[in-house]
Amino acid sequence: MRSARLGVTARLIAVLVVLGLAIFPIYWMFVTALTPDENLFGATADLLPDLSRLGVFANALADGKVGRWLLNSFVIAAGTTALSIGLGIPLGYAMSRFTFRGKAAVGLTLLFTQMLPEALLVVPLFAVFRRFDLLNSLHGLILADTAFTLPVVALILKGAIDGVPRDLDEAARVDGGRPLTVLTRIILPLIAPATAAAAVIAFFSAWNEYVFAVTFVFDKSLQPASVGVASFIGEQDTSIQSIMAVALLFTLPAVAFYLFAQRYVVSGMTAGAVKG
Amino acid sequence: MTERNRGPHVLVRSPGPAAGTVAGRRDGLNGRRRRSVTGSPWTPYFFLAPAALYLVVFQLVPLLQEVWLSFTRTTLLNPTFSAWVGTANFQSIFANPAFRQTLLTTLVYVLACVVGSVGLGLGVALLLNGRFPGRPVARSLVTIPWAAPGIAVALIAVWMFNPQYGILTRLLRAVGIDPGASGVLDNPQLALGAILVTTIWQLVPFVAVVLLSALQAVPQELVEAAQVDGAGRWTIFRVVTWQVLKPTIGLVAVLMTIWSLRRFELIWLMTRGGPIGSTRTLVIDLYAQAFESKQLGTAAAIGMVGIVISLIVIVGSQLVARAAAKEA
Repeated sequence: MRSARLGVTARLIAVLVVLGLAIFPIYWMFVTALTPDENLFGATADLLPDLSRLGVFANALADGKVGRWLLNSFVIAAGTTALSIGLGIPLGYAMSRFTFRGKAAVGLTLLFTQMLPEALLVVPLFAVFRRFDLLNSLHGLILADTAFTLPVVALILKGAIDGVPRDLDEAARVDGGRPLTVLTRIILPLIAPATAAAAVIAFFSAWNEYVFAVTFVFDKSLQPASVGVASFIGEQDTSIQSIMAVALLFTLPAVAFYLFAQRYVVSGMTAGAVKG
Repeated sequence: MTERNRGPHVLVRSPGPAAGTVAGRRDGLNGRRRRSVTGSPWTPYFFLAPAALYLVVFQLVPLLQEVWLSFTRTTLLNPTFSAWVGTANFQSIFANPAFRQTLLTTLVYVLACVVGSVGLGLGVALLLNGRFPGRPVARSLVTIPWAAPGIAVALIAVWMFNPQYGILTRLLRAVGIDPGASGVLDNPQLALGAILVTTIWQLVPFVAVVLLSALQAVPQELVEAAQVDGAGRWTIFRVVTWQVLKPTIGLVAVLMTIWSLRRFELIWLMTRGGPIGSTRTLVIDLYAQAFESKQLGTAAAIGMVGIVISLIVIVGSQLVARAAAKEA
């Protein structure tokens, strides 16, 4: 009995160490944002935040530039999510429920695109975007980001639709339902959790997208937060406290949503990466 | 189409959506199982077309352009003019010792990422799979590194490795490692290590959560039977747990390989491939060739090398997985 109890204690300590390592850098952003200069740049580091300085977050948001960044990121991420889900649902449905010529090729393409780095396609996409006048615009970034989120979203949704018993489609069809009706009335309500997970993945991959945003947008007023936050690196004019406050404001939505949708996201990501 | 034509039901079907519905109803009444939904043979393409068209325009066409670029001399300053040079770009990159260094750095980076993230991820998964108070909370919190945006991770890493005041620099000094006045990220011996620590920190939670869900498939009665037979923990792990986890571990390893081959922001923002090229992986090299040296042809050739490596990894892993499945 005693050794079992000891085992639990040892495990608990190990878990706390792991959690400490996992959380520390995020905690450190918080501490840094709330520590005055004299303690930050002293001989030793302060490990606890000075909670009387919480106003630094309000100040960061009050800065019009930061609000603009976050708003641009939101627009890009929301647009990418809507477009990826809108295109991904029919694609996932076709991949799950139909046999057709070229299906294997489509499946392979969806897997293959996941190994393409954005940095590889940024040059030719730049040329395409210039031709269609999509440079320096938020909708241009939505189009570029969707190209990379769509395959993942489609594979997650295909996996989810695979999990819906075919008998349900059959029953609906007996009642005269056409494929589109079957999709919207029967399947979509049943795959809502997976759709939400796919939406979270699409949203935050666009929220975090950097390469296209830094290359395709020139106006400062159109910059998303990823580019804004990255521009702090190596910069001297902004105080480290403000930088960390902004970075934390940029991080928290992603962390909150992933924690909330974690179970679906993980099963979705593995399904998307695995099955074709 | 050929698949569909095999069934006799095609004979009773005439083109057009209305006829498709009728045929579908008949299928239902006959109680026969159909592999596909009713409708004309064009129905799947109707659902497929928008996304397919999208991917052709925004992935396939740019990719083919990139393939073509790799056989040309094209500069960023005049990107509409390309001179066909055959395989000259490939010959010149492979003749360049700096590129061989890039390949080696990529290999070290990818291998270390895979081994580090899978090894530690497995450890964390086994740890969290045990019984202890607060388990659900711990399982959620441990995923935070993976959920944090890569850009913010790069930023906090740069601050933590700050040459004077970074907390990790202070820690290194405390244990007797002096990264020098310009800091860890500017030290050719330490920079790649710092990037690896940051990358692995971010990857471990993902691996752990995936393996944790795979661990739920370990048959408990088998574990108990082994315990009754007096098997030690290590034997149980090797004989039972490992066998269940093996396919998932293989899969996660492939995923980590591909992700690490294409990782850009974290490395670019932490070191830009420096100091003296010590953190220059293929993707960093590709981006620097395109936007710093302005050589789009060379950049495209480097990209092709990366694609070929990824393809080899994917195909190779499929072959290994298939061989393993046959053995079992």
